[in-house]
Amino acid sequence: MEKTIQIKVKENNSITSQIWKSREIYLLLLPGVIWFLIFAYIPMYGLSLAFKSYQASLGIFGSPWIGLDNFVYVFRDPAFMESVWKTLWINAGRIAFQFPVPIILALLLNEVRLGRFKRTLQTIYTFPHFLSWVIVASVMINILSTQGLVNGIIRLLGFETINFLGSTDTFLPLLYITENWKSSGWFMIIYMAAITGIDTEQYESAQLDGATRLQQMWYITLPGIKSTIVVMLILTVGNLMNMGFDQIFNISNAATARAGEILDMYIYRITFQSAADFSFSSAVSLFRSIVNFALLLFADRVCKWLGSDGLFPSPRKKVRG
Amino acid sequence: MEEIKPASKKIKPGKPIQTKHNKGKHTKIQTLDVVLLVILTIFGLAIIIPFIYVIAISFSTQQEYLKSSLLLFPKEVTFENYKALFQDGRIWTGYRTTLLFVLLGVPLNLFLTTSMAYGLSRPDYPFKRFFIYFVVITMLFSGGIVPMYLLMRDLQLINTVWSVVFNYGINTFYLIIMMNFFRTLPLEIMESAKIDGAGEWRIMFNIVLPISMPIMATMTLFYAVDRWNEWFHAMIFIRDNNLVALQLALRSIVIDSQISQQMNASNLATDAKFSEGMKMAAVMVTMLPIMCVFPFLQKYFVKGMTVGAIK
Repeated sequence: MEKTIQIKVKENNSITSQIWKSREIYLLLLPGVIWFLIFAYIPMYGLSLAFKSYQASLGIFGSPWIGLDNFVYVFRDPAFMESVWKTLWINAGRIAFQFPVPIILALLLNEVRLGRFKRTLQTIYTFPHFLSWVIVASVMINILSTQGLVNGIIRLLGFETINFLGSTDTFLPLLYITENWKSSGWFMIIYMAAITGIDTEQYESAQLDGATRLQQMWYITLPGIKSTIVVMLILTVGNLMNMGFDQIFNISNAATARAGEILDMYIYRITFQSAADFSFSSAVSLFRSIVNFALLLFADRVCKWLGSDGLFPSPRKKVRG
Repeated sequence: MEEIKPASKKIKPGKPIQTKHNKGKHTKIQTLDVVLLVILTIFGLAIIIPFIYVIAISFSTQQEYLKSSLLLFPKEVTFENYKALFQDGRIWTGYRTTLLFVLLGVPLNLFLTTSMAYGLSRPDYPFKRFFIYFVVITMLFSGGIVPMYLLMRDLQLINTVWSVVFNYGINTFYLIIMMNFFRTLPLEIMESAKIDGAGEWRIMFNIVLPISMPIMATMTLFYAVDRWNEWFHAMIFIRDNNLVALQLALRSIVIDSQISQQMNASNLATDAKFSEGMKMAAVMVTMLPIMCVFPFLQKYFVKGMTVGAIK
């Protein structure tokens, strides 16, 4: 990309001829650009409804501007602030109880020396990621119900049946455990890929120095994937406000609905379940986007301050969560 | 950038050195191995057993299910659950809608993603940087569901499959994986074709795509799975009972009836309609296609992930 600038400076007056020369490339980009404009950028502009009073007859563009009134209403709604704190609380727990699991799995699986066993496990671990939360929740609701498999084992061991699904006490562990069940194997793959990038000479010299395998794991493998861990962590923090909707929407029920009303659930409820006020919902969505972006920048700064590369020097490193 | 397997083999030749040099530590290494195997196997079983349980219930009678809660192998195998499920009809509607999502959606995904990824992977041209940012910004910000719903309504796509098809056109993450893959291709091939007078579109279709079959296969499978799992946008955009997506049909059979079960016991009529066996049969029917493509998917995604994540 640096080259682009140099060329531009050198032959600045021939920029139109350069564009003309690259016209076929622009033609390649055209379908994608049109799609992005209509289905990504127009909705982005649609968030301007947050500063408007939406009237169906006038549409997004024609509705009158009303300044910050919508935000005043939003912040007056106690359910809104409650859902913001709930989102941060639940998802901070995800960083504590979900984020490390794939790293540990990758470190352990990397030490397995039976190739076939390793591959089989890798296959098993990654499979649930490809199922939707509707399917996973259906399975979980069955095995965790009072009649289900887990309670069957608990009864067999002589303990009392636990109501995993209908109690607010078990709701958070339920979220973290099912999420780990579904996708820790998938994120493990990302770390496994990073591990293969580690220079093998490091291991050889460590072995000559008599390092045990645990020591190698701790002093070579873990530092070797540090940059990947940092990128994943920044992305997770930057996603703090929108994680978990699919999961909570499918796994919560009337008894746990309040415990699980994260911001996205709140947006869904006020937009599609009660009398819809699209301006109000847009204000909440915009607030969520801004907080997310601020969190991403904040996490990036903190990581840079701590001496890591951070995210923005190489936007190509991004991995979807 | 390389595939995972060769690289992990690279590590292995180092390992025998360890045993040669420190024969005394041999037993210690074996304990570590055993501990690893136990931990990892337990996690593996925790993932597999629920599936076995689901399969078992889907083939067993309601009486047997109620009698034993640790049912992993039904004594009498019955197909009644599947029969009842298909008679209910919702699954058929679901299959039809979701197949439409896949058949209309995946070609669109591939067309948009491939052409844009190839365009972005070309070496320097004016405003390339602008287009890269144009794409990356959509990863950082999105309008969310509310403006999207209004947009679909203004385009009059509500209650049609097209709303769901167009809503998910390009997955930026996949786009970047493809772009990085195209960047690794030798430029000389394209250059020589250009000298012969071929346009960029022709180069893409006739030269680049035939040598990119593995990544195309990966993308096809990824998009197909995403389309298969589509439920949220289908729920928001499509309210027509004749166009219910498969995942939502499953949801109405399993999750909604569970909620009504918890809400009021008087609603026993609906519960009797869907026995546990039938619900699990619905799960199986929804999951089966994913199970079928997973072995192919698995073959490629490690490579795809590595290209996208490390390059």
